[in-house]
Parts: sequence; C-alpha cells; structure tokens
Amino acid sequence: MGFLWTGSWILVLVLHSSPIQAFPKPGGSQDKPLHNRELSAERPLNEQIAEAEADKIKKPYPPENKPGESNHSFVDNLKLLKAITEKEKIEKERQSIRSSPYDNKLNVEDVDSTKNRRLIDDYDSTKSGLDHKFQDDPDGLHQLDGTPLTAEDIVQKIATRIYEENDRGVFDKIVSKLLNLGLITESQAHTLEDEVAEVLQKLISREANNYEEKLNNPTSRTEIQAGKIPEKVETPMAAIQDGFTNGDNDETVSNTLTLTNGLERRTKTYGEDNFEELQYFPNFYALLKSIDSEKEAKEKETLITIMKTLIDFVKMMVKYGTISPEEGVSYLENLDETIALQTKNKLEKNVTDNKNKLFPAPSEKSHEETDSTKEEAAKMEKEYGTLKDSTKDDNPIGKPDEPKGKTEAYLEAIRKNIEWLKKHNKKGNKEDYDLSKMRDFINQQADAYVEKGILDKEEADAIKRIYSSL
Amino acid sequence: MAGRGGWALLALCGALAACGWLLGAEAQDPGASAAGMRRRRRLQQEDGISFEYHRYPELREALVSVWLQCTAISRIYTVGRSFEGRELLVIELSDNPGVHEPGEPEFKYIGNMHGNEAVGRELLIFLAQYLCNEYQKGNETVVKLIHNTRIHIMPSLNPDGFEKAASQPGELKDWFVGRSNAQGIDLNRNFPDLDRIVYVNEKEGGPNNHLLKNLKKIVDQNTKLAPETKAVIHWIMDIPFVLSANLHGGDLVANYPYDETRSGSAHEYSSCPDDAIFQSLARAYSSFNPPMADPNRPPCRKNDDDSSFVDGTTNGAAWYSVPGGMQDFNYLSSNCFEITVELSCEKFPPEETLKSYWEDNKNSLISYLEQIHRGVKGFVRDLQGNPIANATISVEGIDHDITSAKDGDYWRLLVPGNYKLTASAPGYLAITKKVAVPYSPAVGVDFELESFSERKEEEKEELMEWWKMMSETLNF
Repeated sequence: MGFLWTGSWILVLVLHSSPIQAFPKPGGSQDKPLHNRELSAERPLNEQIAEAEADKIKKPYPPENKPGESNHSFVDNLKLLKAITEKEKIEKERQSIRSSPYDNKLNVEDVDSTKNRRLIDDYDSTKSGLDHKFQDDPDGLHQLDGTPLTAEDIVQKIATRIYEENDRGVFDKIVSKLLNLGLITESQAHTLEDEVAEVLQKLISREANNYEEKLNNPTSRTEIQAGKIPEKVETPMAAIQDGFTNGDNDETVSNTLTLTNGLERRTKTYGEDNFEELQYFPNFYALLKSIDSEKEAKEKETLITIMKTLIDFVKMMVKYGTISPEEGVSYLENLDETIALQTKNKLEKNVTDNKNKLFPAPSEKSHEETDSTKEEAAKMEKEYGTLKDSTKDDNPIGKPDEPKGKTEAYLEAIRKNIEWLKKHNKKGNKEDYDLSKMRDFINQQADAYVEKGILDKEEADAIKRIYSSL
Repeated sequence: MAGRGGWALLALCGALAACGWLLGAEAQDPGASAAGMRRRRRLQQEDGISFEYHRYPELREALVSVWLQCTAISRIYTVGRSFEGRELLVIELSDNPGVHEPGEPEFKYIGNMHGNEAVGRELLIFLAQYLCNEYQKGNETVVKLIHNTRIHIMPSLNPDGFEKAASQPGELKDWFVGRSNAQGIDLNRNFPDLDRIVYVNEKEGGPNNHLLKNLKKIVDQNTKLAPETKAVIHWIMDIPFVLSANLHGGDLVANYPYDETRSGSAHEYSSCPDDAIFQSLARAYSSFNPPMADPNRPPCRKNDDDSSFVDGTTNGAAWYSVPGGMQDFNYLSSNCFEITVELSCEKFPPEETLKSYWEDNKNSLISYLEQIHRGVKGFVRDLQGNPIANATISVEGIDHDITSAKDGDYWRLLVPGNYKLTASAPGYLAITKKVAVPYSPAVGVDFELESFSERKEEEKEELMEWWKMMSETLNF
C-alpha cells in the first residue's frame, strides 16, 4: 500500500507542478479508447506471451530468489507493456525514449534538487534487481536504431506517455490489464509504479527546468526569488533533504529485499534522521514516533516520502515564482500544524463515524477502520479497472479520498472566489479586498451552516483553515 | 487496523490537499477520475460542472462548492428534512443573498420530487454551478438575472427516494422504485387539493386565490402530509414566489395548470384563468429545448397518447388528471405561477447522457428564469408612502387575483395586451389603472391607496369649506 501511495502522490504532485504545458483536455469518452486498445492489443499480447515463455527459460537466476522471480515475469510484463504502449504514438515514444534516458542523466546535474541525483544513483546502483534486468534482456525488444529496448526504456516510455497525455490513467490501464491477466502481482505493480513515478518526476523537473530558463531572461522577479531561496528556504530544507534522501535510499532498497532486512535498515536510518532534520517539523516527528516501526514500517516510509516530496515541491514552486519564499516557508510551517489538526480530526472522526450510518447511501468512510495493505491493494486494483481519467488522482484508498477530493474541490472553489473578488474590487478602485472581513464572514457562515446541517463540522473547519491560511 | 500509520497518512493527505491549492494556480483541468460507479467522481468537463449523478453527500458538496466559489451572491439553506433526515437543501442566488429586496421578484426551481426522476436533480446542480461561473465571467444575461431576481434552486425535494432509486444495481432503473418518499407517499399527489375548492367557487362564487385557509389545521396537524410536503408548503407561504417550475421525468413536455379535470374525467382540457400566460410560460421553456419542441418527435413510448401536446406544451388535465399536485397548489394557495416540466423519456437515464440533457435544457432553464420579468409590477402604498401588504391586485377579465407582499410589492405576469388593474385593500378605496403591457420587460405601476378614514376626513373638510363659503356669501 505504501508505495502505491508514494507513487500516486508523486504522480499527482508532479503532474500539478508542470507550469506551462497546455494539457490536452481529457475527452469524455475514455472508455472507447480503452476498449479499442483491448481489442487491438489482444493478438500481439498472445504473441508476446508466447515469446516471453520462450525467453523465460533463457534468463539466468539472480542470487535472491524472490526478487529474481519477480524479475523474470517483470521483464515479460515489460515486453507486454511495450506491445501495448506501442499501439499508440509509436514514433513519438521512440523518439522521446532515445533522447530522454540520456538527457535525464545530463539534466540531473542542472536541476537544483539534490534529490534527483540521488534517485538516479538509487536507480542505478542500489536496485540490484534492475541491474539484472539490464543484463538479462538480450533477446528483448529493439528501438528504431536497433539498440535493445531495456526495462528502463519501457518505464521511460510509459512515463513519457503519461506526461504527454497528462493522464495517469494510462498507467492504470496498463497495470490493471496486467493484473487482470495475472501477469504481474501487486508487488510488481507497486515496483513498476515507483519506477514510472521516478522517471516521470525527472521528466517533469527537466521540462520545468527548461521553462524556468526561458523565464529567467524576461523576468527579473524569478531571479530575485531564486536568489532568495538559499537564504530562507534552502538552508533548513537542504538539511532535511539529506536526511530524507538517506531514508529514501533504504526505502527503495527495501522494495526488493525481504521485509526483515528492510526493517532493520529502516529503523536504523530513521533513528538517525529523526533527531536532526525533523526538528523543523515537531508535529510530524511526533506522528512518526507514534507509528509503531515494527508493524507499520511501510506507512512510516510513505509518510517520510510524502513529506520529502512536499518539501521538494514547495521548493520548486518558490523557484518558479509560483509562490514567494515567505509563503513557502509559512506554508510548510502551517503544514506541520495542519498535520497535528488532521490527526486530531481523524481521531475524532472515527468516534463520530457512526453518525454517517444513518444514511443508506454507501459510505466509503466505514472502510477506514479495517484498512490493511492487502485490502487496499485489492481495492486499488479494482480502481484501476474503472478509472477513466485523472489529472488529479484522488482515490487510491476509500476514506482518504472523500475528504481529499472534496477538499480539493472546495479549495478550487475558494480560489476562484478570491480571484473574482480581487478582480471585482480592482474595478471598484479598491486596492485590496478586505480579507479579514471575508474571513470573519466565512467563519460565521460556516458555523451557521454546521448548525443547520448543511456542512459537516470537519468541512467547516477545513474551510476556515483554508481561509485563515490565505 | 492501519492504526496510527493510516491516520498519519490521512493527516498528510489533508495537508497535501492544501498543497494542491498552491499548485492549483497552474492547474488547467481540475479533473478527477470517474467511472459509471458511484464513488469518486469529479469528471469535470466544464468549469467545475461534473456531469454525473450526485448522491446526497455529493449533492451537498456540489452546492457547498458553488457557495464557496460565489460567496457574494449565494447562500445555502434548508427548508426542512426528509422523512429519513436528509436536509431539503436550497441554494439561493441573488446579489443580496438572504434578503428580499423590495420589488425584486422571487423564483424557484424544484427537482426530483419523484426520487427516480433524476434528470431534474442533476440539471439543477449544473444550473447552480453554471450561474455562478457565468456570473463571474460577466455574462450579461446572468448578471442581470442575479441582480434583479432572487433565484432559489432546490435540486431535490425527495432525496430519500433518490437514494433508493440510485441504489438499484445495473443501468436499467425500475419505473417506480424511488418515486415516492420514504413513507411511500407520492409527493405530487400529497398536496391539499385546492382545485376542487376553486371549481366549486367558480360555480357558486367565492374567492379565486389564496384558498389555503387555516394553515395550522390543514398542514401542521395533518398526519397525511409527508414532511417534505409540509416543508414546501411553509416555504411557499414564507417567501413571495412569483414564478416556479417543478422538474420531472418520464416524458418530454412542459405542463401547465390546471392538472385536475373539472368534471373528474380522466382527461379534459381544464384551463385556469391565466391560461394565456401559462401557455406562454410553458412555451418559453419548451421552445429552447430542441427535442421537446420538435413537433415530429415520436412519443416516448409507442402507445403514449400525446395528442394534447402542442409546441412541446400541454394543459395538465388534458394530458391526464392529477389531483393534489404541487403545481396547482402553488397557483391556488399563493401568488406563484408554477409549471411542471417533464425532461426525459427515461426517468433515470444513464449517467453518460447527463451532459446532453444539460445541453438540451440550459437555454430553456435560463429563458424560463427570464419570464419572471414580464407583465406588470410595482408597489401598493398608502398616502403616506407606507407599504400596504396583502393588498389585492385584480385584472379585469382574469378571474384570478394576486396580493402584495410585505413591502407592498407585487408582480403580475401577463401576456402582451391592454389591461385594467385594480388595487384594493380592506379599509382603503380601490384604485383602477389602465396599463399597456408589452412582451417584456415588466411595466411599473404603483398604487397610492387612500384609506376610508382619510377620505371621510377629506369629505368633512370639503363640507366645512363649502359651509364656510356659503356662510360668507350669504352672510350667516
């Protein structure tokens, strides 16, 4: 569960951070292409399976059985994936693949985030499984120029496709098909997702980087902000980054190692990390501590990854001028508080959950209590089968989705409101609309609505919080 | 149990959602995934309008989102609760939400009174979002409407029924499941039958308007009325609605009063005194809905009798007799003119069709809204300028009077023509004025009524004057 979370969140945030790309609007008829693809992919799939069966025999066994086994079928699956993805935009994909693996390695140095560099290192050296893939695929697929298409390339291809179409659903469709056909297991799906997510992230940061270079010439503002970054945001951030990426190293390794091994490493690393870096996030630290490392190591990993990603994105936004450094810092400070609040709310929510059982409407909320990674994964598999399109992926898991999707909708609505008010007031020759007045009004209305049963207490709190953070 | 870990994740997710706002500045398509399933939707294709079925929680969220986006011009309130405790939510759109501005007419749309007639519910949610979006974009028609009207939108009068209907598995929904409320009451047969009373009054004489006397006995203490019905009746009595539409499904037509036949037969054209304006109002809806207005459209079901349909409209009783309906109740208990619009041959069509229903109906919905600004409107005051509430405004030749609201304001919908309007109130002398009414906009006609006592005083003074003059002349 943890890694799908990681992957999905990275995907979400990564997709959101892309500043210029005019993403094509997802058409309403996502079902049709899916069906066509299935029809058109069927025959080649069968052929590929036959080919893959033949290849299986040839593969040498890596030292560890478990990851080895997953590697075998994983390579097969990658072949299948290739068949599927080749159906659409063949040339485009191939071109991008030829350029991107090389570009990525070059661009890594350019990007300010040290994290990316580490990821490349992870990808290359610590993932023993993947190393084998590089070597184990002699009879594999070929690119236009005859060089063999490696597993990395396939992952790259998928990531590129997702990036271009701005459609996470691409990946989901592929994975769901594979899962349905029983060609890959859940854990393999997780691994694949991680890899795709990493590559996608590189892609996006590279694109964003190019865009930022364009920006730097006409706008002096970006430069000033870029200059400011080291003063304010970078210093605490960098320290945290290092800590997190250390943790991250171990995270990704533990993907392929057995659970006990991973646990040992994890607990060791986290012990070091927590003291230094997380001092900036007392609530988060408390939260981490409260998680039982033994039982919920995955959750802990995920949390740290998410936190790391968040910080990264704030940095990126500051860099690109979306927000000012002060806002970035205050946002992160608020984040910590929000975590505290949210945790408290979730605790309360569980208590008041019974209220929701009044309504016969099916409620995802009741799923929360019985979470387990297996159930979640099964749920997610189902989701993949039915997901149409998601520029905002907000439903890997039942309960978190509802407030998440709802909060996002509310956020969007509030944003539009503020925008309109600003514009409207400008026309009326007012310098700035009265934010505090607005805030009071909203607070008052939210409370009134809660009393009347129009809003949940939680929603009202969320709305008030959003307004108070403006 | 995922325990602390799970909660921690959720906490971060909430925080992450806030992160989404910061990034949201760049987001082009706040889209999300959806399938035919009920769960996570937000397949937002146009400006925050998600063309999918909204269950009760999603309905609430959708209205809250509209409110959050347009706090300056909207307000959510509830008129009461359904039998199973769901709020009967209304979103109000006006330039001064929550306040009746004197002279500003009040409009309402009500949908999904039959829980399995789902298109109306969804259209009204889309409409609320659409009005908010268009207002912010500066769409002149919408801005004008919102500044000059108080628009109330109730997407669902029967949320319990809807849940039942929507919970059916599979695409094909039964023709009856979810129609009535949770108690099994058909809400559109549940209103006090005022048609009977007016038919008697027509023959034997009696009032021709505001026939619901003794609200307490007939409504509050009436055990046969569903909570939803009671809530709506109070709503109608509290707010001086002028124009309304009641959205249904199962056919494709705009239906106007009377719904119940005079003779008691199964169908018979039973016109109300305002037949002319009602035909015009119904046409104002149907003519903008291509399939509804299509004269060559085959009936929804092969053996349907749509012989009463003209230009996509029909007299209710001519189609089939309906006693105890909400439409006629509006007309006979209050000043509100209401029509019933049947939006779809299929009562609960597949989700994928919702977008096209929206396209078919959005112009109609706006056009019908604009009809409120027709006829004659104004204020009834006394000679000191104080408003006279509950004054009667009658139109010569139309046997249906209306009354002025608390601020003395009135609105009288009329088709173009020349009319004589009379305003009267107990203790006051009636005044008649001639008015030439165009198609639109509404003509303003104010009345200053003189009370009897004032007139007596005046007459006395006149008499004294005369006597004084006489005595001076004749040297008394």
